[in-house]
Amino acid sequence: MIKYIIRRLVNYVIMLFVAISMTYFLASAFMDPRSNYMSRNPRPPEASIDRSLDLANINDKTPVLVRYFNWLKGIVTEWNWGLSPDQEPVAPAVASRISSSVQLVAISTVLSIIIGVSLGVYTAIRQYKWQDRALNAVSTLFLVTPAAVLGLLIVLGAIAINNATGTRIFYVTGLHSYEGGNIGLAILDFLQHIILPTIVLVCIGYVNYHLTQRTYLLDTMNADYVRTARAKGLTLNQAIRKHALRTSLIPTTTNIAFSIASIFTGAVITETVFAINGLGRYFVTTIQDNDINGAVCIAAFSGVCTLAGALLADILAAWLDPRIRLN
Amino acid sequence: MTEPMNTVAAAPANGEQPVLEVRDLRVNFASEAGTVRAVRGVNFDLYRGKTLGIVGESGSGKSVTSMAIMGLLDKNAHVEGSIKFRGDELLTKNDKEMSVLRGDRIAMVFQDPLSALTPVFSIGEQLKEALVIHNPKMTEEQIVSRSIELLKLVGIPNAEERLKSYPHQFSGGMRQRVVIAMAIANNPDIIICDEPTTALDVTIQAQVLEVLQRAQQETGAAVIFITHDLGVIAGIADDIIVMYAGRPVEKADVDTVFHNPVMPYTMGLLGAVPRPDREKSSRLVPIPGAPMNLVNMPKGCPFAPRCPLATDICRQGEPDLLPVEGREGQLAACHRVKEIVDQNLTFSDIYTVGESVKSKFDGIPRERRRTVLDVKHLKKTFPLTAGGFLRRKVGEVHAVDDVTLDVREGETVALVGESGSGKSTTLLEIMEFRQPESGEISVLGKPIAKRMSREDKRELHSNVQYIFQDPMSSLDPRLPIYDILAEPLKVQGLSKQEINDRIRDLMALVELNPDQVDRFPTQFSGGQRQRIAIARALAVNPKLVLLDEPVSALDVSIQAGVINLLEDLQNKLGVAYLFVAHNLSVIRHISNRIAVMYLGRIVELGSNHDVFEEPLHPYTKALLSAVPVPDPQIERTRQRIVLEGELPSPSESFSGCPFAGRCPMFSTLTKEQQARCLGESPELVAKGGAADHMAACHFA
Amino acid sequence: MSDMATEEKDLGLNQDVATEGTPAAVVVNPVSQGGDAQDLKRTGRMTLYVRRFMRRPSAVFGLVVLCILILFALFGAMVCPWKYDEPDFTALAAAPSADHWLGTTIGGSDMYAMIVRGLGRSLLVGIISSTLIMIISAVLGTAIAFFEGVVEKVGMWILDMLLTIPSFLLVAMIVRSSSGTSGWLWLTIGITAFGWIGYARVIRTLTMSLRELDYIRAAKFMGVGSFRIILRHLVPNLGSVLIINTVLGVVSAVNQETALSFLGLGIKAPDTSLGTLLMNGQSSVLTAPWILLFPSAVLILLTFSVQLIGDGLRDAIDPYSRSAGKAE
Repeated sequence: MIKYIIRRLVNYVIMLFVAISMTYFLASAFMDPRSNYMSRNPRPPEASIDRSLDLANINDKTPVLVRYFNWLKGIVTEWNWGLSPDQEPVAPAVASRISSSVQLVAISTVLSIIIGVSLGVYTAIRQYKWQDRALNAVSTLFLVTPAAVLGLLIVLGAIAINNATGTRIFYVTGLHSYEGGNIGLAILDFLQHIILPTIVLVCIGYVNYHLTQRTYLLDTMNADYVRTARAKGLTLNQAIRKHALRTSLIPTTTNIAFSIASIFTGAVITETVFAINGLGRYFVTTIQDNDINGAVCIAAFSGVCTLAGALLADILAAWLDPRIRLN
Repeated sequence: MTEPMNTVAAAPANGEQPVLEVRDLRVNFASEAGTVRAVRGVNFDLYRGKTLGIVGESGSGKSVTSMAIMGLLDKNAHVEGSIKFRGDELLTKNDKEMSVLRGDRIAMVFQDPLSALTPVFSIGEQLKEALVIHNPKMTEEQIVSRSIELLKLVGIPNAEERLKSYPHQFSGGMRQRVVIAMAIANNPDIIICDEPTTALDVTIQAQVLEVLQRAQQETGAAVIFITHDLGVIAGIADDIIVMYAGRPVEKADVDTVFHNPVMPYTMGLLGAVPRPDREKSSRLVPIPGAPMNLVNMPKGCPFAPRCPLATDICRQGEPDLLPVEGREGQLAACHRVKEIVDQNLTFSDIYTVGESVKSKFDGIPRERRRTVLDVKHLKKTFPLTAGGFLRRKVGEVHAVDDVTLDVREGETVALVGESGSGKSTTLLEIMEFRQPESGEISVLGKPIAKRMSREDKRELHSNVQYIFQDPMSSLDPRLPIYDILAEPLKVQGLSKQEINDRIRDLMALVELNPDQVDRFPTQFSGGQRQRIAIARALAVNPKLVLLDEPVSALDVSIQAGVINLLEDLQNKLGVAYLFVAHNLSVIRHISNRIAVMYLGRIVELGSNHDVFEEPLHPYTKALLSAVPVPDPQIERTRQRIVLEGELPSPSESFSGCPFAGRCPMFSTLTKEQQARCLGESPELVAKGGAADHMAACHFA
Repeated sequence: MSDMATEEKDLGLNQDVATEGTPAAVVVNPVSQGGDAQDLKRTGRMTLYVRRFMRRPSAVFGLVVLCILILFALFGAMVCPWKYDEPDFTALAAAPSADHWLGTTIGGSDMYAMIVRGLGRSLLVGIISSTLIMIISAVLGTAIAFFEGVVEKVGMWILDMLLTIPSFLLVAMIVRSSSGTSGWLWLTIGITAFGWIGYARVIRTLTMSLRELDYIRAAKFMGVGSFRIILRHLVPNLGSVLIINTVLGVVSAVNQETALSFLGLGIKAPDTSLGTLLMNGQSSVLTAPWILLFPSAVLILLTFSVQLIGDGLRDAIDPYSRSAGKAE
């Protein structure tokens, strides 16, 4: 058993290695850190540009393979993911932003799951009734609305409320602004900041759980074993609650595990709209700054998250479903 | 339309009240094409301890009737009429009120045991639920002991441990036993069985039927047994209702239905089935046409378009189900019943038995015919992987284990056996046209080699063709018939004109209208589709056709026509068939030679006559005895050899005879003999009278 | 996919056997027995789909809205005196007026002209990339599943590997260096290059069940070539799924385009797109909300209408659609 998990882990490591290397070459091909300096006024002398670029190991005059192996050596020997064009180490920069992202994403993910799954069950049982149609319409609207549109509209609404009430109920930028020592006020301050981005993320996030849970439950609701349960004397609702629901939750659980991956990159837009210094925003900055090492580092981080999610999904499925239970 | 309140034939003389009265039951469904009138007036009474058989082909409304009684129909069903349980009207009850009766007083056993149990709950939990929902006060102890009692009753060994098992750890037959255990858990008054054995192998079917009969004795329940299988119904029912197009067309006790039917449909149905217990005497007689479309039904008797006796009056109005004069307890819905009874018309008076075509090879003994297919020591193994998670190889399945057989020109060789015996795998392995893992396959004397030229492959494809079980899925729904038939011809590189001519001939050959080549498969009925599949297989003039259960997906009345067609084509064209079927009646009718397979091996091989009349291997004997015969008298008197247990796991390897663990003969042997069975694998060698009758058994 | 249609056609078959009127024993005419499918009253597959689609008011609504939006993108510029790339410096961040119907941006560009242009860009990127994605994923997905064995193993490994890194990051990297004029093209290429992977996986799963079907095996047994089987049997039978996915794919492509442009990584000035307009609008939420509101409204209309069409199509083709109405 342990042996098989190890084998899978080894496969994942290889997969990750290939994927990250591919990303590195892509980034090196398409990102042009030299242009950062070329556009400066006055333009620095070429030799000094080269020196800066060489320091960060991103000079396009060095063959890309040489840069790649240097980069790889740094990671393997000293866990050094390289420097940004302005000579900042990227790994600590990523690490420092994880906490903001987690704060932002954890609450909204939990809420999305609870709301989405409940709505999925509620609407599946009422298929084609008005509640189902209405909630489906709402979810579809959220499904198709671009995150930027949703975020900006909510900001607009929040500002309107602030103006109307004359007090600052909602903050539309950052995660903290309170500097004092009162825990209660600090929490209140945090909530005032987090509520808007959370609303945005929940609106975007719950839809998927709603629609898939509805489909899964509808699929299992017509299964033969639900009919058997009814033939035993369960009412339709009892049969659905006990037999169909349990089976239909298995794929949802694995979906949740998979979603770990998207947690850290799914909030790019929201972080930008609300000026939250998380991973998503950092990623945008690296792209704008032609920060090859930074972009690759964050891609690697989300790659790890994806595979961790995949592994977790498999283990959960095996744990929940007796048909694929280990041994 | 009011019908006389006739009760079922066998109303008991003692004035006992029926447990269930069904009156003028009608069920409609909404569909895209219009309202489907699935059930159009069903009446019957059901008495305790009796078994009522409902027979009909697909779409006859038999299952819908049972679901209406259970109150388990879809929401878009519209039900009318009356169903009274002990005088209590069921149709006005809502789901909650019905759930009090369901599983307690009225229980049901479904067709497909594989999907009937919830995969994520253990057997124990599911049994417990059936008990607790109606007896909330039961203690944990009582539940466990009752569950064990029930499992023992339905013949599940190690009941205590098995309670913790999950459904996927059980075979189909075992799961059906669990479903039966749940159905009888609360000693119901009525057990409805909807094709309970259709998905099971014959030997398992025999076991399950026995369990059902035992369960009925134990509970004294009335049973409604729904099936399309006339053999099964002959053995189990007291009274029979024959349904056609949503209505009962004949009602009587079981002997009358089988021996003195009056409705032409009943006669046709009985005449269309091949008999497993008799040597083939003549062609089968198909009922012409296909069952009625239940949307926008024309007026008149729904069977009239297919009935050889139909007259204008039949096409004018639908006949009511009325008592047959002079026949006590028999009812029939036929305008011409009086003539039929008066002139004592039987099947052979009404339907004409056709003439079969003389075979090209008639009179040429087998030895002098060319060998079309020669299989020697064929082996095929599959790696066995565990579950979905972390797929890993845990063993090997010997799907085909040392199979040797040959097929000669113009003959039909049948492979029979239960599921998992490797018969279909053998066909597929031949069809791969690859050098097998082990052993040799030769077609027309040419062995299939590892590397073959394109030309040789093409030739193989023109010599060997394949026909699948389900004509619904073997024809691409997106292609018109013309393109479907042209496909094999294009592979052979024929010109457009040649293809055109050939397709016209083919359509005529399989008795289809050549003008219909532009239609799509979905526009044809099941029987017609199988004809198209046959035409496609024969398009390139193959010498050998492999057929995998070619008629088992078809209704009885349609099946006969396809079997006749296959016979005629073989005789006309001299093509050889390697035929796989689980239906031994069909095998008996169509094949010349029979190979009985068990766990990937051939255990008996011989001519049709030898295998059926003088079976050597104990497995063959058991298999033959398990086949139900559509004759109630024979069914009542004959002895079944019921095999104990299930097919062993295919990954198990045996040093001796793989059948030893289930062999009924094993226990009669001496210690030394038993040791030989367990230690030495028997070879397939000639035994018995004929030189070509072989069996793989030490003591046959 | 075709189960429903199959069933219905069976019910629709009106088996009119040629019946001889003779009352006594009738010789069964074998030709009539086989060829009795004449005069069938049936509902064609397409008619059925159209009928079911049209029965959904939401789907029809979506279709109408989308048509209007397309017409607007194609011909909307003709009725406007302003051009998207010719700012009116006399009216910077002007509110909607008779001069500028939807106001102007901070840079003085006419919002109406900008929206027409941006909508066209969004539609172009969405439709082209979604179509390309579906073609690539259909061919590769079916091929991976069809060839089984090593091809499937290696293919799946590569797909999984490519899915490890979120495609959004990769698209952003590729697109970022593009110039203003070729931006939309790079965006389309980027979205396509990394968008097909997930769909290919889905199609492979569908093909896995399809490849077990008898008609695929029948074609193999007859010696039909692999590519012929893929193109003639597999892809057409996935047809409905592919069409639905293409339609819904437009939504996600438009969303990606919006997101990237909003972050300043997609389409850049002088060209414009709805996402770029949103980015412009963000900075002036309070002072000039129309810069944000109008493109938002158009975006929602666009994606919502396409989604409604996709849902309508799915329901029309779905064999389990219960929108069949009630029995009498």
